[in-house]
Amino acid sequence: MNPRIIVANLVVSIKSFYRTKSTMFFMIAFPIILILVFGALFMKQDNMSFDLCVQDLDHTDSSAQLVKTLELDGKFNVIKIDPAMNATQYTKDNKLNLVLMIPKGYEGSFLRRTALHDTNASVTLTYLYDPSSIFVSMKMQILNSVFAGINQKMSGKPPFIWSAETSILAKKYRFIDFFVPGIIAMSVMTLSLFGTVNLNTELRQKGVIRKLSTTPITRTDWILSNILYQFILAVISTMAMLLVSYAVFRINLYINAWLLVFIVLDVFAFVGIGMILTRFVKEAESAAAAANAITFPMMFLSGSFFPLEMMPGFMQTVARILPLYYVNEGLRASMVFNDHMAALRYSAIIGVFAAVVFILGIIATNWEEGQ
Amino acid sequence: MAKEAEYAIEVEKLTKRYGDLLAVDNISFNVRKGEVFALLGPNGAGKTTTVEIIDTIRTPTSGKASILGMDVTKRKHEIVPRIGVLPQGFSSFDRITVRETIQYFSRLFCCRKTDVDGLIELVNLKDKAQEQYKNLSGGLMQRLGIAIALVNDPEVVFLDEPSTGLDPRARREVWKLLLGLKEKGKTVFLTTHYMEEAEFLADTVAIISKGKIIAMGSPEALIESNANYLVLTLKPVDEKAIEIVRKMGFEPVRDNHRDIKVRVEHMDDVQKILDTIKDAGASLLSLDVRKPNLEEVFLKLTGQALHKDTAGRVAE
Repeated sequence: MNPRIIVANLVVSIKSFYRTKSTMFFMIAFPIILILVFGALFMKQDNMSFDLCVQDLDHTDSSAQLVKTLELDGKFNVIKIDPAMNATQYTKDNKLNLVLMIPKGYEGSFLRRTALHDTNASVTLTYLYDPSSIFVSMKMQILNSVFAGINQKMSGKPPFIWSAETSILAKKYRFIDFFVPGIIAMSVMTLSLFGTVNLNTELRQKGVIRKLSTTPITRTDWILSNILYQFILAVISTMAMLLVSYAVFRINLYINAWLLVFIVLDVFAFVGIGMILTRFVKEAESAAAAANAITFPMMFLSGSFFPLEMMPGFMQTVARILPLYYVNEGLRASMVFNDHMAALRYSAIIGVFAAVVFILGIIATNWEEGQ
Repeated sequence: MAKEAEYAIEVEKLTKRYGDLLAVDNISFNVRKGEVFALLGPNGAGKTTTVEIIDTIRTPTSGKASILGMDVTKRKHEIVPRIGVLPQGFSSFDRITVRETIQYFSRLFCCRKTDVDGLIELVNLKDKAQEQYKNLSGGLMQRLGIAIALVNDPEVVFLDEPSTGLDPRARREVWKLLLGLKEKGKTVFLTTHYMEEAEFLADTVAIISKGKIIAMGSPEALIESNANYLVLTLKPVDEKAIEIVRKMGFEPVRDNHRDIKVRVEHMDDVQKILDTIKDAGASLLSLDVRKPNLEEVFLKLTGQALHKDTAGRVAE
């Protein structure tokens, strides 16, 4: 290993990057755009409320009181539909996913139950819904819980089971706080893998690698300078993401040495994978496709965007063999939970993986052509 | 040890096979220190494979090559700092300037004393020193490639087709540069498919065809031993002349410029042809008599032309 050679290579890489303004812009802009888009979505989820259309066919004080109860719950913005309308047609025409229909005779049944204590008196509310909507089942569950509360209250007995919420975290966190570490892990992966594969296939196609093979630079020098270069880009990109996240969403994360440790390991692992990939993919055009084939499943399966609990059991098992999962979890352990032991555990796993692919990357790097 | 002092490059029974393709077939030759050695052959003859084995880019299937007494497959790390290489189709980093590129390669060799300005001046790129590589013309790129091949002040310089794709003027400039290297006492190993280049620059020429070296020696000796005749070139006014020459028992050949080339043994034959054409009332616009060149040597040895564009075609 020759530090002078590594620095010379690094200087050339940084100058080339700096002089390619469009690459520089997209490298920094892409993860920031992701954070802004997803951050805005998750901000809404933290205080989520749904539109709920209600058709009150009874049109009495009691039915109006029920609608008011739904409004006061805070989960719904109630939109009233004219009782004269055909609700099914209206739902289709206005692309609604759920209409709650209060039937005629609601007040009669209500009074029979409350004033006359007739336990046989009941009412059936109809959910007119579009099953293709992903939010409709969530809306119906919330509605069910509201109605269960009303039923329980009307029984006149206090509930037997109560629930109490105690957060395991010292601070209050929002979804965006969990999301940002995942995006950092994903961006560093994408940068390192694409950067390595694109650069190496392009230089090989142009014949620059052939020229380099007649100089004293070794494969180790070459890969280390690639790693150092990608690390610098990753740090710049991470700083930009954190700054935007602080400025726009006021995120609440611990920034400590673990952040740098996980960036280094992330870079090592994916530059190594990039080097192995470069051995098998000869053209720059197919290199991007091959890198996509690795990064796309990884970013969706390893919990960068979605919590692992949302996935079926076998996919959670798959996630646990993906290197990005350990970077995600390690970053969250250190940045969200401030759990150094967990961060150490995850860093050890990804560290071993990074060391193995780094060595394989050196072995796979072959500058001799046409063998 | 005396042999090591005499030869910069020694190649013995070198063979390279790619699957069923035999690219280099059991070739042997030596290159003396300080000489310009040209490997001449058409595209696909095995020139680049040969030079890339010797300059350590590729490994041979069998046989041995050594530079300055060191085996290329075993002592690459010792060889690399002592050689300079311009690979075929040289390319560099698009957004790095001429000066920065030379500095970069100099750093790879850990040369603190590289005279970057001197190299820029040597390859006549002073005006382009701050220009990025992607903005250079083909000729300027080749000149930069030659400068890079010299950053470590090598003892042996390998230039794989240094003037391919260049216009005649740029080619002349590259030749001038290469003559300068020879004057500095460098050993230059050149591959080319331009016979004029080999003839103009080389002390020794090895002609390679289908992976085999079919002739080797100084250009003069090769011509003397393989093409002991004269070439008469006639530019006739009409078609009569070619018929007249053919009737005299010669084998005239029409080239791409519609000139007639006639191979003759003696100057007396030239006089005879001219007299016969004159007596028959045919006219000539110009004539030229010269010794044959390496192109004709190659044609004689292989039955094929070195270049399609210079290939003659027998008149009907």
